[in-house]
Amino acid sequence: MRAPRAVADVRALPRTVFGHRALMWWGTMGFIVIEGTTLFICAMAYFYLRRNNFTTWPPEHIYRPALVIPTIQALLMLVSIIPMRWVDRHSSRMDIRGVRSGLLICSGLILIMCVLRIFEFQALKVRWDTSAYGSVAWAVVFTHTTLLVLEAAETLAITALMFSPTVEERDLSGVSDNALYWYFLTGVWIPLYIAVYLSPYFM
Amino acid sequence: MSAAAAPAPVPQPPPAFEDRERVRRELEQTWDQPPGLVPWLTSVDHKSIAKRYIVTAFVFFVLAGLEAATMRAQLARPENNVLGPDAYNQFFTMHGVTMMFLFAVPIMEAMGLYFVPLMIGARNVAFPRLNAYGYWVYLCGGIFLYLMFFLNTGPDVGWFGYVPLSGPEFSPGKRADVYAQAITFTEIAALVGSVELIVTIFKNRAPGMTLNRMPLFVWAMLVQAFMVLFAMPWVATATQFLAMDRLIATHFFNPAEGGDALLWQHLFWFFGHPEVYIIFVPALGFVSSIVATFTRRPVFGYPVMVLSMIATGFLGFGLWVHHMFTTGLPQLGQSFFTGASMMIAIPSGIQIFCWIATIWAGRPRFTVPFLFVLGFVVLFIIGGFTGVMIASVPFDQQVHDSYFIVAHFHYVLIGGAVFPLFGAFYYWFPKVTGRMLSERLGRWNFWLFFIGMNLTFFPMHQLGFEGMPRRVYTYLPETGWGDLNLLATLGAVTIATSMLLFVINVVKSLRAGLPAGDDPWGGETLEWATTSPPRHYNFEYPPVVESRSPMWESGPEMPVVTGLRTDVRDTLVTTLLDAEPDSKHRHPNPSIWPLLAAVATTVLFVTLIFTPWGAVIGTPLLLLTLLGWGWPRGREKWEQQLVESEA
Repeated sequence: MRAPRAVADVRALPRTVFGHRALMWWGTMGFIVIEGTTLFICAMAYFYLRRNNFTTWPPEHIYRPALVIPTIQALLMLVSIIPMRWVDRHSSRMDIRGVRSGLLICSGLILIMCVLRIFEFQALKVRWDTSAYGSVAWAVVFTHTTLLVLEAAETLAITALMFSPTVEERDLSGVSDNALYWYFLTGVWIPLYIAVYLSPYFM
Repeated sequence: MSAAAAPAPVPQPPPAFEDRERVRRELEQTWDQPPGLVPWLTSVDHKSIAKRYIVTAFVFFVLAGLEAATMRAQLARPENNVLGPDAYNQFFTMHGVTMMFLFAVPIMEAMGLYFVPLMIGARNVAFPRLNAYGYWVYLCGGIFLYLMFFLNTGPDVGWFGYVPLSGPEFSPGKRADVYAQAITFTEIAALVGSVELIVTIFKNRAPGMTLNRMPLFVWAMLVQAFMVLFAMPWVATATQFLAMDRLIATHFFNPAEGGDALLWQHLFWFFGHPEVYIIFVPALGFVSSIVATFTRRPVFGYPVMVLSMIATGFLGFGLWVHHMFTTGLPQLGQSFFTGASMMIAIPSGIQIFCWIATIWAGRPRFTVPFLFVLGFVVLFIIGGFTGVMIASVPFDQQVHDSYFIVAHFHYVLIGGAVFPLFGAFYYWFPKVTGRMLSERLGRWNFWLFFIGMNLTFFPMHQLGFEGMPRRVYTYLPETGWGDLNLLATLGAVTIATSMLLFVINVVKSLRAGLPAGDDPWGGETLEWATTSPPRHYNFEYPPVVESRSPMWESGPEMPVVTGLRTDVRDTLVTTLLDAEPDSKHRHPNPSIWPLLAAVATTVLFVTLIFTPWGAVIGTPLLLLTLLGWGWPRGREKWEQQLVESEA
């Protein structure tokens, strides 16, 4: 092994960094790409089946989806970006009090989203085993639901961590990465909502 | 985002070197993995995990090889009765599924997980626990698949599991469910590995290793990881649709209720074609590493090589329909995908020319790794030529589903990926174990493999022309296919002999091989700068890179950075493009939670084969293990210590 020759010292580098400087931010982006691709595939399957195999959409004898609850949910998701952005900003300012109060609001919001999701399945007005239309519509909503449940679990766990006595500075970077995933989860729902709940009215 | 926007402090040269002996001792203590079962189960060392991956994948390679040998025994003569039709269906499916999902992709990623951190001067991968989770999920999936096979419930619908054959109507029982779920296991492992590689390459490179100084092998793994990221979700979604069609009566692929059988083919091949390049692109990295070292010069045309690999990565996604030429596509679609399929020969051709130019201008040493590279060039060119032939629709329609196709893809996959992989085994074995493999046995291994490979698969081109369809368990004497099949079986025996020699070589060399030293070949890249085998912490000090060939151009001393703590698992994070030191990151300690999470994942997937209530049992279990994984423990004291020490 060659003898080392010191050319720089990194003692003074920070331990807590945010955004694309943090490893976890890139990890979160990786999973956003995977899950975004999965949701995209479900949406592609939805339109593929619509185009190739159906003359009417929904097929005959099946009602169009109800719109009230899904629209409330879509709006709630959009609005929820505001408190999460607030949490995000306070985390990068190392303001633990702001983060705590913002996360309490976001935890409440995501629990409401989970409850609304149950009614959104009902709003499809078709079972998954009725026809391929029902199967693929359920697939889109169900796939997003798995991500919603995971994000709910993570947000609740992070909120609990923020109130624990062992919270550290670098946990705030994790809060910021959770916010990134939240933006994805809520943002990606809007085109999916349009596809599953609105498009049967104009396709 | 005040903290995020803050500029990174400029690193300052240290006034004097620290006490190296103390540094080494502390690093040993901090990163140590003591012997014993518990440390083994909780290990998060990338080398330890990658070695398990490689050994496990090789075991699956042997199993799939034994399945192939049994099939060749069955086909050695007409109307043979080694295997019945039902067993034969399971054998060829298990062979394909094992080779593609349990051997080829995992072993390529595992080579990356072992060598990428070493080549970029990092101490570990970016997310060590996630890495361990990926391996355990992969292992559980493989064991599950083979348990079911031994219980006579092995998949029997071919590795691409076409519907309606694999649907509920034509495949009652659980065999197709086992297929769908086993794939899900391996997809998760592959996706985890790809995120791991991308983040490690982007953020853990040694200071000074700008993107245009990255070794070609690291570029290859980066391209492969991105391909995995965008390709694997397609098959994962497809198999979940299939599993749901079978379990809860959805209709994705049921034409009677508006479903579509061709939807499966699109979803599968949008993954399935990039899959070939996912296996092949890392092999390009092996070849570049070996060619550079054994010609003693950097590979000719570095920018062109990188661009060719990236081009292959993109073009690989534009070819999937050439697997579906016989499904009645519109003419425009056929023409487009013919053009695209031929176009991908361009970047592959460019790379071949670059290697030839490197060899031409260098002074090649014909060691065993180099022989495998030469074998690769010959075999891959043959596979590439037949690939261009079947890119043509009229030709493809003649040979579709015949033994010509079997010959083509074995030339591409064995020639294009397995030969470089064996070259890589011989090349890096000294680094991993500290001992050299026997050159003499290696040459026997190479020549028997090369001859056996051609004896087995070259006659299959002719068998295809003569009309022998793939996946038939026997044939009549009147067909006249007996002689060529017997020749192919003799070839399979030759390959098996060569593999046996390889195993003997490994076992003998592990016990009594020549000591390798740190850099037995005079290599170009950073993995040769550390000990053989490398310590758990890889490098005493993170190296600093000043050129593309750090081992050849850094002089008698290795430039390094100091200032990382040695009493905690400190690692250096650098910037994406220029690899400037940016922050310090504390890596997690060993943990049992990745294994527990993998077990919970297995409970979820396996119960879902039998009942939808599996989700109700498995999901909370999985969430619980993930919570246990992420929840901090005993950190207060630790962090206090950090603050005190740095103050």
